[in-house]
Amino acid sequence: MQNTWIISMRELKERLRSNSFWAMAIIGPILVLVVTYLLFALGGKHKTHWNILVTDPSGIMQNKMMASEDASVSYSFADNYLEIEEFAKGNRFQKFDAMLEVNEKVFSNKVAFLFYREKPSTKMETKIQYQFEKRLEEIMVGQFTELSIADFRKIKQPIQVGFRNVYDPKDEASDLSGWVGLFFGGVILLFIFLFGMTILRSISKEKSNRIVEVLLASVKPRQLMLGKITGIGLSAIIQFILWVVLIGVGLYFMRANLFPDLLDASKMDVVQMTEAMRNQTLQQQMMSAREYNDFVDLVFERINYGSMLTYFVLFFIAGYLFYGTFFAALGAVSGSESDGQQFVIPLIFLLILALYGGYYAMENPASELTTWFSFIPFTAPAVCMVKLSQGYPEGQGYLLIVSFFILLLSSVLVLSIATRLYKNGILQFGHRLGIRQLIKWSSKK
Amino acid sequence: MLKLDSISKSFFQKLALDDVSLSINEGEIFGLLGPNGAGKTTLIRVINRIIEQDKGTIRFKGELLNDKHLSRIGYLPEERGLYRTMQVYEHILFLGRLRGMSKADVRTNYNYWAEKFGMENWEKKRIEELSKGMAQKVQFVSTVLHQPDLLILDEPFSGFDPINIELIQQELIEMKAKGKTILLSSHNMKSVEEICDRVALIHQSKKILEGSVSAIRDERKTGNYAVRFRGSMIAFVNALWTGFELIDKEILGEDRFVAHVKMRGENNFQDLLQTLLGQIQIEAAWEVLPSMQEVFIQEVNQ
Repeated sequence: MQNTWIISMRELKERLRSNSFWAMAIIGPILVLVVTYLLFALGGKHKTHWNILVTDPSGIMQNKMMASEDASVSYSFADNYLEIEEFAKGNRFQKFDAMLEVNEKVFSNKVAFLFYREKPSTKMETKIQYQFEKRLEEIMVGQFTELSIADFRKIKQPIQVGFRNVYDPKDEASDLSGWVGLFFGGVILLFIFLFGMTILRSISKEKSNRIVEVLLASVKPRQLMLGKITGIGLSAIIQFILWVVLIGVGLYFMRANLFPDLLDASKMDVVQMTEAMRNQTLQQQMMSAREYNDFVDLVFERINYGSMLTYFVLFFIAGYLFYGTFFAALGAVSGSESDGQQFVIPLIFLLILALYGGYYAMENPASELTTWFSFIPFTAPAVCMVKLSQGYPEGQGYLLIVSFFILLLSSVLVLSIATRLYKNGILQFGHRLGIRQLIKWSSKK
Repeated sequence: MLKLDSISKSFFQKLALDDVSLSINEGEIFGLLGPNGAGKTTLIRVINRIIEQDKGTIRFKGELLNDKHLSRIGYLPEERGLYRTMQVYEHILFLGRLRGMSKADVRTNYNYWAEKFGMENWEKKRIEELSKGMAQKVQFVSTVLHQPDLLILDEPFSGFDPINIELIQQELIEMKAKGKTILLSSHNMKSVEEICDRVALIHQSKKILEGSVSAIRDERKTGNYAVRFRGSMIAFVNALWTGFELIDKEILGEDRFVAHVKMRGENNFQDLLQTLLGQIQIEAAWEVLPSMQEVFIQEVNQ
């Protein structure tokens, strides 16, 4: 155990010393920030004025939304219940861009739905959500409490507006939140690939410069392999923390300077949400993920960073172990560096399949194949991130844990096969690697 | 010190070691000889527990060899490398720690060797900045740093420059004097003759010869003698007459030669000297034993 640690610390130091590590730590977050900025900037070029019909049979809103006029959005009120289909197809409703459905349940479940004809921009979603939330606060304070609005805001629960396509109202998956999951899943796969290749190169190098035999006289092949995977994995986690910090600072800067109008959207809520999330148990965090990461103001307000990052790290570790052992075994069995690269191609295909699995899960959240993908270790890291960001249906949160443990157990299993390959291949030099050899080496203890 | 009993090892149907038994005594330098592919490196890897034998047992100081003994063994493989981007001291510390040394012990022992090998100012140098000879010293120091009782060197003289070969030979002799046991495999028969007490010859996975260097050479002597003299070669040949046969000669100078002579009939060394006295000016005369190189070739070709 101690030797594994010594090996991993050496590996970590070597990574931290390399220029490529620091280049990636800077270029990666910058790319993410640029893409995020572009998405925001482009997202602002949607329809400039929104005409919204509020159906309010109980008269909750009292035919009013804002004290003052807003140039970009106007509300009309109907005091009767309206079928979605009627709104979608009825001629007299065509002048409205969206319908906001409000009924008495909003006081208990804090959810209302907006059915749009054309998807509003993130900015517009934020605005509608914000205005609706503020109006409801006034009403609730006036009707139910003696508190001031400021005091009430400290204790209230955030209101969630579900944005749905009026032509496809049952589609509960938010494409935006799905993209967040796919982004996180994609980052996991990217990290697995980059650091997996680092494992492979590092082992090939040790083989070619023949330090490996000196090491094997003091440590077991398994310790050597684990130490290497651990050390490089730790460097990946450090890299990831750097990404989080740099992207976090970048987003903060963007929010404060580039998109100040987003700042309106109740900063207090964020504090409240993060505070609440911190105190929540895992189960509750998953619930929060379900409640908060839908739609509006996705990046700044609605992603549950607490649970996304937690599961990101867990799935990254398990996924990295799973794939990392393949890379390590491949590095050990290859006769030359080019040999290893040739056998990396199937691994790259698997990673691409995993990415596709994530995309498929985003597009077809309820499909049976998505469920299978979330259990198959090769595709689980990306698919589970997408599923997590979309929110597991109530009562099915445990499926995420199941996926995680399947992945973890598979890693342990793969590790034992990889150890055999590593042990039998590491001291073989200059051969041409073939499938038959791989089978032979993996079967010999 | 080390006793190998019927060690066999095969790699997927290919037999690499076939029932090899060896006994290495404490405080001796033991040479493991054999042509390429004979199984020497496999045997050395088995002793280092890098690979496991299929059959047979190894005893280290009377105990069955196990992982805890590894910290008492130092191993310099034939194909040896270092991490090129690491600094010298950092590298030595890394390997020392893997052998179970504390940081303080690494420091103390490193200082000793650094002074001995003139490596005092190398600590912060990166391995890639070192010359090949300097890197070889670092490799040797990292092998002996933990003061192993048994030092195993696979082809220690291959790739080393003559100055380092001399340096390492001296170190090995010094270590032997301190009671350390050394097992080395080598193709350098001159070095084997000079420093090994006993040797074993492995050929086609089997041990075909084991014994002390002097006994092995003595057993194979052919009754040849060499005489270094001043005078005329013709006079020398005439003096030999029919009792002896000149088989070889080396010209050292205008009137200075070394002649190799084979005895005929019942004649012996004494007779040879008497025959030559007065004819030439004898500087030295000695019995010619086969070199280890000759023994090696002879045994392998048999």
